Amino acid sequence: MTLEISNISKSYSNGRSTEVVQALKNVSLSIPNGMYGLLGPNGAGKSTLMRILATLQEPDEGSIRLGDPSAGPVIDVLKQKDEVRQTLGYLPQEFGVYPKARAEDLLDYFAILKGITQRKARKEVVEALLRQTNLWDVRRQRLGGFSGGMRQRFGVAVALLGNPKLMIVDEPTAGLDPAERVRFLNLLSELGENSVVILSTHIVEDVSELCTRMAIINKGEILLEAEPLKAIDGLQSHIWRRIVEKSALSQLEREYRIISTKLLSGRTVVHIYSEEDPGNGFEPVAPDLEDVYFSTMAGHIGTHKPVVAL
Amino acid sequence: MKFREIVRFEFIYQVRRPWPWLFVIVLLVLDFLMTRDGSVSEVLYSEFFLNSPFGIAKTTVFGSLLWLVLAAPIAGDAAARDVTTGMYPLIYTTPVSKAEYLGGRFVAALVLNLLILLAVQAGILLGVYLPGVDAELIGPFRPAAFVTAYAYIALPNAFAATTIQFFVAARTGRAMGAYFGSFLIIFMGFFVASFLLFKQGLGTLLDPIGIRFVVEDIAHLWTPIEKNRRLIGLEGIVLTNRLLWVSIGLAGLAVTYLSFGFAHRTGSASWSRMRQLFTPFRGATAKAYAPVPAVLGAIADTPVYVPKVERRFGFTTNIHQMLTVAWASFGSIVTSWAGLFMLAFIPLLAIPVVLDQMESNGVPLVPTTIRVISELTAPLADELSRWVIIPFLIVFFAGELVWREREARMGEITDAMPGSDWASFLGKFMGLALLLVVFLTLQIGAGMLAQVMMDYYDFQIGLYLKIMFGLQLTDYLLFTLLALVVHVVVDHKYIGHLVAIIAFVFIALASLFGVEHNLLIYGASPGWSYTGMRGFGSSLLPWLWFKGYWAAWALLLAVAARLLWVRGRESSFRVRLQLARRRLTRHTAWTAGVAAGLILILGSYIFYNTNVLNDYHTASETKERAAAYELRYARYADTPQPRLAATKLHIEIYPERRTVEIRGTYHLVNRSDVDIDSIHVATVPGVETQALRFNRPVAHVLTDEKLFHRIYTLDKPLQPGDSLQLAFQVLVKPHGFHENGVDASVAANGTYFTNSWLPAIGYQKSRELLHAPDRREHGLAPRPVIASLYDLKAIEDKGTGGGTLETVVGTASDQVAVAPGALRRTWTTGPSSGPGQVRRYFHYATAGSAGGEWGFFSANYVVHKVQWKNPDSSGQTVDIQIFHNPQHTAHLDRLVRSIRTSLDYYSREFGPYPRGYLSVVEGAGNGTGMHAEGGMLTYAEGFALWNLNDTQDSFDFPSAVVAHEMAHQWTVPYANVEGAPVMSESLAWYYAIKAVEHTRGSEELQRLLNFLRVSQIRPEIRRGEPLLRGLDPYMSYRKGPFALYTLSEYLGEERVNGALRSLVEKHRKGEAPLATTLDLYRELKAVTPDTLQYLLHDLFEVNTYWELKTDGATAKQTGTGSWEVTLALQARKVVADSAGVEKEVPMNDWVEIGISEQGKDSDKPLYRQKRRIRSGKQTILVTVPYKPDLIDLDPRQLLIEQKTDDNRKEIKL
Repeated sequence: MTLEISNISKSYSNGRSTEVVQALKNVSLSIPNGMYGLLGPNGAGKSTLMRILATLQEPDEGSIRLGDPSAGPVIDVLKQKDEVRQTLGYLPQEFGVYPKARAEDLLDYFAILKGITQRKARKEVVEALLRQTNLWDVRRQRLGGFSGGMRQRFGVAVALLGNPKLMIVDEPTAGLDPAERVRFLNLLSELGENSVVILSTHIVEDVSELCTRMAIINKGEILLEAEPLKAIDGLQSHIWRRIVEKSALSQLEREYRIISTKLLSGRTVVHIYSEEDPGNGFEPVAPDLEDVYFSTMAGHIGTHKPVVAL
Repeated sequence: MKFREIVRFEFIYQVRRPWPWLFVIVLLVLDFLMTRDGSVSEVLYSEFFLNSPFGIAKTTVFGSLLWLVLAAPIAGDAAARDVTTGMYPLIYTTPVSKAEYLGGRFVAALVLNLLILLAVQAGILLGVYLPGVDAELIGPFRPAAFVTAYAYIALPNAFAATTIQFFVAARTGRAMGAYFGSFLIIFMGFFVASFLLFKQGLGTLLDPIGIRFVVEDIAHLWTPIEKNRRLIGLEGIVLTNRLLWVSIGLAGLAVTYLSFGFAHRTGSASWSRMRQLFTPFRGATAKAYAPVPAVLGAIADTPVYVPKVERRFGFTTNIHQMLTVAWASFGSIVTSWAGLFMLAFIPLLAIPVVLDQMESNGVPLVPTTIRVISELTAPLADELSRWVIIPFLIVFFAGELVWREREARMGEITDAMPGSDWASFLGKFMGLALLLVVFLTLQIGAGMLAQVMMDYYDFQIGLYLKIMFGLQLTDYLLFTLLALVVHVVVDHKYIGHLVAIIAFVFIALASLFGVEHNLLIYGASPGWSYTGMRGFGSSLLPWLWFKGYWAAWALLLAVAARLLWVRGRESSFRVRLQLARRRLTRHTAWTAGVAAGLILILGSYIFYNTNVLNDYHTASETKERAAAYELRYARYADTPQPRLAATKLHIEIYPERRTVEIRGTYHLVNRSDVDIDSIHVATVPGVETQALRFNRPVAHVLTDEKLFHRIYTLDKPLQPGDSLQLAFQVLVKPHGFHENGVDASVAANGTYFTNSWLPAIGYQKSRELLHAPDRREHGLAPRPVIASLYDLKAIEDKGTGGGTLETVVGTASDQVAVAPGALRRTWTTGPSSGPGQVRRYFHYATAGSAGGEWGFFSANYVVHKVQWKNPDSSGQTVDIQIFHNPQHTAHLDRLVRSIRTSLDYYSREFGPYPRGYLSVVEGAGNGTGMHAEGGMLTYAEGFALWNLNDTQDSFDFPSAVVAHEMAHQWTVPYANVEGAPVMSESLAWYYAIKAVEHTRGSEELQRLLNFLRVSQIRPEIRRGEPLLRGLDPYMSYRKGPFALYTLSEYLGEERVNGALRSLVEKHRKGEAPLATTLDLYRELKAVTPDTLQYLLHDLFEVNTYWELKTDGATAKQTGTGSWEVTLALQARKVVADSAGVEKEVPMNDWVEIGISEQGKDSDKPLYRQKRRIRSGKQTILVTVPYKPDLIDLDPRQLLIEQKTDDNRKEIKL
């Protein structure tokens, strides 16, 4: 199972003005089975891409195909929407619930929409998913009273209905507490064994912990497509760190290509990208995915020049 | 400061949205059209200026009504936007006080609404002053008319409505709640105020919109001159009403303020709390507790086990999905407040409505199923029916369902589910359909419950099911689909509501937009009818064709909705069209093709029926033809024509084939004093008039098949007194159906038609246009509605009809046919075996003139025969035959009794009954009326279904009606001039009053008089022409009979009856001149003593009103033990001219003074005598034998007085 995204562009007209916002520019990605992280800041175009994949939006141009050409027909995602939907699990970034409905009833309702028409099978699936998402005990309660995390888990249960081959989860971990988050990511990665799972997030850890592949997107463009570990490898000895007083920061900004600053016990930890030793008190540091992300965003790596061999 | 800022921000925010502007445009356009189109004014009474204060007020009321259903989002958005957008945590935590926040939002909404309502006045202004209006229709410009209408109608309406909308929206946290607030108000105005409470006078008080006090009260009360001149004033009930609604508004504000809190909104917490009050069985819907995961922390190895189950896609799954969506949609509505309102509140209220309506004229009716159903149903397009709330609710629910997922922010999840778009669209449709089915089921339950409460158990469940689920549901479903499609296509909730409601307005008032044909108005069809005798008759077939045609349209619309269904984020129309192209699968294309094909086929078939087989004319074409007829042939109006002396008819009725063949011969006599050289024959549209033949040589000059006029010239003129014969044939048979359905006259059972199908002689003045603007538009000179009382030529005009009638009428063997006259003989023809039909024939002949209207009937009647013998020595007998529906027998005894007593009394008092026979025929129809022609009474089925309980004090209205109709047998031939209705109806009611008094006693008389006083056809107003020239129902049915009754109390009954007897004797003879009110007046004058001539004058010749008032009364015992009462009173007499202008005239009149004892029967007063009372204050002394208690001036209300409650006073000792 592969998802081939080629040359997708999408622009919106911005409200009343005639100004056009380019949400996606010529995006091409090839996404195999497994967890795939789509990392980018808010407003980068992640959700637009996710919604296009989830058949909810139309790109201006480009094509998307889902399937394994060697193992059966390939689905044209943009045209064969219903075929995609039959194998799709989608958890939007933001969603609500019918406050008056009960968890079990609403899940059962969605199960029918997902084509599980046999009552017995549906009952089984609903129970399994409610247990899986730890909602079994509250299945007879109204969704209106659910907390954010419970609601999120309910959304996951809906997305998991029908063993999707294409799972699209848009910023799913935002409302989850740490334990729920881990639980949820585990769930996804298991699913990823046989399916394409695309996880969009602005949280680097979500990707670094689980995704076998990732892309970094900003302002509608894919800046980097890589395997996280290889990307980190590629930055070996390019990331340097120095801890400075806050007041010294502006001076450093002028002199170095700072990729990130972080507060640590009242002082500031500065990471810079430099292919050779910048000296001046900077020490080398083992890069992590966050450094990859920030380096990419700052333009040091990525943008049509894969730094690692694919 | 903050307050101002909140108002400013809210106002500007909303003004920048599109919808306030759309509301303005819609109100502007619709009020423009309403002003321009006379349609509403035609529904009301006579003409007035386009810009008359009344016209402006009336349009303002309708504008307010429209505003109410359209503009709810203004208040709703102001009240609930923060909650719906989730912004409220930011706002509630600012240091703004509740008063500033709510007040600011409310004031902004109110100001905006008031500005929007100005569009109504602007629309009227444009309607009046933009070019294209007949200048005659525009009166002087009076800003005050616009200002008062706005200030007294629109402004208080807007205030009360905005508070209620604001309250519901703030309370629910949903802008749509405001619509619900509007529904409550409309419900109040249409349902509660108009039907439940109207009788008690509370209706006008409680009406929140003004429908009652402007459209009903003022429209009926004001004279045309008043309507043109008088401004709506804040006085009386209008003032109370306005104050009441402003206070309700203020109370609404207070409640909103008190119940509002800057608090977290947990879903529907406050509503859940309220809901628990109603549905305790549901238990508390407390916040779900967050379950603590069994194991805290991360567990990497949780197995993912989701059982692999079979999933199926395709048609059956789509069906399954559709049903699931339907059930969920139904559930979501049922558990909402509006759903509860529709399914619980409305059916519950329907019970008292039905109970309340099961009476007519104060007498209970048998609650037959069809009568109950008629209270529970209404054509969808009837915008003034109490059920108008249902289409509004349908629009509302359609919006809720279309937006259900997106408003719950579940749209993306649902949209990404597999399954076809039609499954969700049709699912929602079926959810609403299910709601309507349940609603109608409950309505049936309400109807049956009401029947049980009235001790009626013949439920006719089949009829309930047929009408509610066959006819009414179809109407609702077609509209439901339209409402859903509108919401889907428009894809904006508020604008969707706006468009759907405009669609409804279009359906209801299509003629306002110049569209009349049922093929062009969505969902429209000819109406259906049902009566006990006829059943549905032939009314269902055209109905079905039309509904089938519209169902095909609905299917096409559904396809459009499926193609344009918004799924996902793309809502721009361009992208939706692209998507639609992709969604146009083979199946969808086929469905659309089939729908389009059906539209074409059904539409063509219908068009063939309505416009090819039958004539179709728009209202303006009909008027044009009437004008053309007059322009072309009015020149012959004065050409002398022969008059009918005798008619012979042979009528063959074929009920099953709905066909009637008439062969007839007119015997025409030249009664004029000049030669007649040409004969004009008016034929009848819609029937085939054939083989017109004269028995002397004629030349055929002209046959106008369009205007139905033929002219023949006689080779040899017809000398005065000479006669000729005209033979003709008329064929009436169905040709498919008309645009407005099928003429029900000939039915399988219950045929009834009149001589209106027969050719008439001469120019037909009755075919002329009457309405003055129409006449102006077609270049016709104005004509009075009726000729002046002093128009001698008109008085002498006896027309060309009349004469004797002899009829042989044949019908199916199981039916009885009735025609005017006495039954001479009856026989059957046809084979006793073998092919061919056995037919039954009846031969009737009238003695003397058959009157103007001849009724012919055929049905499976049972004939009830009785004979009346004149109790005097004359030995006269009258054969009375009652032709009635076999099922209706309960009324027969009462009917016969009343006929007998009437014959007794009238023969004695006014002269002999002029015939040896009397036919009484029941005709098909649900009405309760009765009608009289010479020798024949006819009544509708409803008349047989009064539910009288024969207790001592119950009022027997039906018997009084029979007495009235019997009295028409003594109506003298009268001229068709002003006062004509007085000659016929006033006299007949006076006869009936006297008949009731003499046969039923004074208590029944009092009940009848009270009934006539209470149920004034129009309440007494100082207006109009004097009784001598009286035309309208108030004059003829109320004022006239009362005037005669008053005279009989002042002059004595013998004198008045004697005058009437003399009138009958003088005018009943064949060649006597036609009578007018002047003849009546002359007879009355002759019997009135000089001292009372003034009274006769006051009652008949001018419009007089007496004003009497008791200032005080004291009593003291005299030495002899009797009591002397000193009465201080004032009196005044006023004469009003035809414009309603009043003039006080000196009074020195006889007025009855009544003094009664405590607790004594008011019938036996201590004192009741007439005393002279003059204008102004005065004191009168009266001596009575016992201790007096109450004094009353004119206690029997013999004089015309508007305010009688100040006549009575307790006597002080």
